[in-house]
Amino acid sequence: MNDDVGGNVGRARFQALCQALRPDLLRFAYWLSGDLALAEDVVQETMLRAWKARHSLKDEAAAKPWLLTIIRREYARSFERKRLPTVDVDELIAREEPMLAAAQDQELAELRAALFKLPAEYREPLVLQVLMGYTTAEIAAELELSNAAVLTRLFRGRKQLRALCGEDTSQDPEE
Amino acid sequence: MIDCTEYRRALLADPRSTSPELAAHLASCGECPAYTDRLLRFEARIERALRADLPMERPIAPAGGRGGAPLRGRWGGGWLAMAASVLLALTVAGGLWLGAPHATLAADVVAHMAGEPQAWARTDVPVPSPQLSPVLEQAHMRLRPEAGMVSYAQSCLFRGHHVPHLVVQTGNGPITVMVLEHESVRREEPFEEGGYRGVIVPVPGHGSLAVLAKDGETDLTAVESVAARVKDAIVWTG
Repeated sequence: MNDDVGGNVGRARFQALCQALRPDLLRFAYWLSGDLALAEDVVQETMLRAWKARHSLKDEAAAKPWLLTIIRREYARSFERKRLPTVDVDELIAREEPMLAAAQDQELAELRAALFKLPAEYREPLVLQVLMGYTTAEIAAELELSNAAVLTRLFRGRKQLRALCGEDTSQDPEE
Repeated sequence: MIDCTEYRRALLADPRSTSPELAAHLASCGECPAYTDRLLRFEARIERALRADLPMERPIAPAGGRGGAPLRGRWGGGWLAMAASVLLALTVAGGLWLGAPHATLAADVVAHMAGEPQAWARTDVPVPSPQLSPVLEQAHMRLRPEAGMVSYAQSCLFRGHHVPHLVVQTGNGPITVMVLEHESVRREEPFEEGGYRGVIVPVPGHGSLAVLAKDGETDLTAVESVAARVKDAIVWTG
C-alpha cells in the first residue's frame, strides 16, 4: 500500500483489495452481529477507517487480518454507540433474515440457526477458524486469549453445535 | 502416544489439525477413523453454512474522488437516499442471488486468493511430487506433464469441500487453477474481479475449473490457454 498511496494507483489498489475481501468481511461481520444491515454498516465503516489508516498497512498480504481486526473494533463501537439489542435467534428466524431464509437446504438452515444459538464467545473463534482459516495462535492473538483458552472455546463450541444439530455426541469426550 | 479421549478432544478443537501426534493415533486406532470421518463431514457442513452467499448491495467506495468523503451510515442519507439504496439493494441482490450465481463463484474464488498470497510467487522450482500427489489424489485425479510446471499445490477448503489449489508457471507469470468438482457451470464464464482476470470453465461430469491471473500481468488469452491445457491434462481416477 506504500506506492502512490494517496493517488489514483493507491486508491485503485485499495479498492481492488477491498472488493476482493468484501465477501469474507461481510460474512464475518454478519456472523458477529446476526444482522445483515448492521454487518453492511460495519463493513462500510471499516473500509473508511482502513482507508484513513492505510499507511499503517505495510504488507498487502496482511490486509485480511488487519481488516478483520478493524471490523471487530467497529462492531464493538457500534454496540457502545447504539446500545444494540441482543439478537434473538428465534426472532431472527421469524424475521426470515436473508441468510437463514435463503438456505434451500433445510439442514443447512438449521445449522445456521444453531450457529446463532452458540454463545458469541464460542461462535467468534469458530468463524475465525473455519471461515477465515485462522490458526489457533492467530485466533489467540486476535481475541487476546491464550492458545489453551482458544482450543477450549473451539472444543466447547463444536460440542454444543453438534448437540444442537442432533448429531450423535455419545462418543464425544467430556471436558 | 495420546489416547482416544485426547485425540477426540483435539479433533473437536481443530478438525484440520495436521499434528503428527494426531496422525499417529489415527493410524493406530480402530475406532477413531470412523469418528474422524463423521466429524469432518459435519465440519464441511459448518463451513458451507458459514460461507453463505450474501448480497453485495453496496459498491466499494473507501475514498471519494475529492479527498475521501465519508460514507454515510444506515440512517445518514435521508429517506430518499434510503429508498434509493433499498431499490438498488433489491435490484442488485435479486440479480446476484437469482440471476448470476457464477459471479458469486468468481467472487469467492477471488476472495480465496487473498488468503494465500504466497502462491503467486514467480519461480522456476516445481512443487515437490510428495506435496503435489496427495493434493491430486484427494480430488481423485492425476495431472499429466502437459499441464505445465506446477509451482504450488494445496488442498484448500472451498465452499465446504477440499479442492486442489494449483499454480502453473507460464512465461507471462503464475496462473492459478482451482479444481472445483462440486461447482458446475453451463458454459465458459470469463470474469474480472478484485484485481484478477480469469475464467471458469465447465468440466463435464467433474464440475469446473477456475483459472485466473493477476490483472495486468497476464491477458485473458493466456489464462484461457492454461485452462484448456490443464483441463486436457487431468486424468480422473475416481
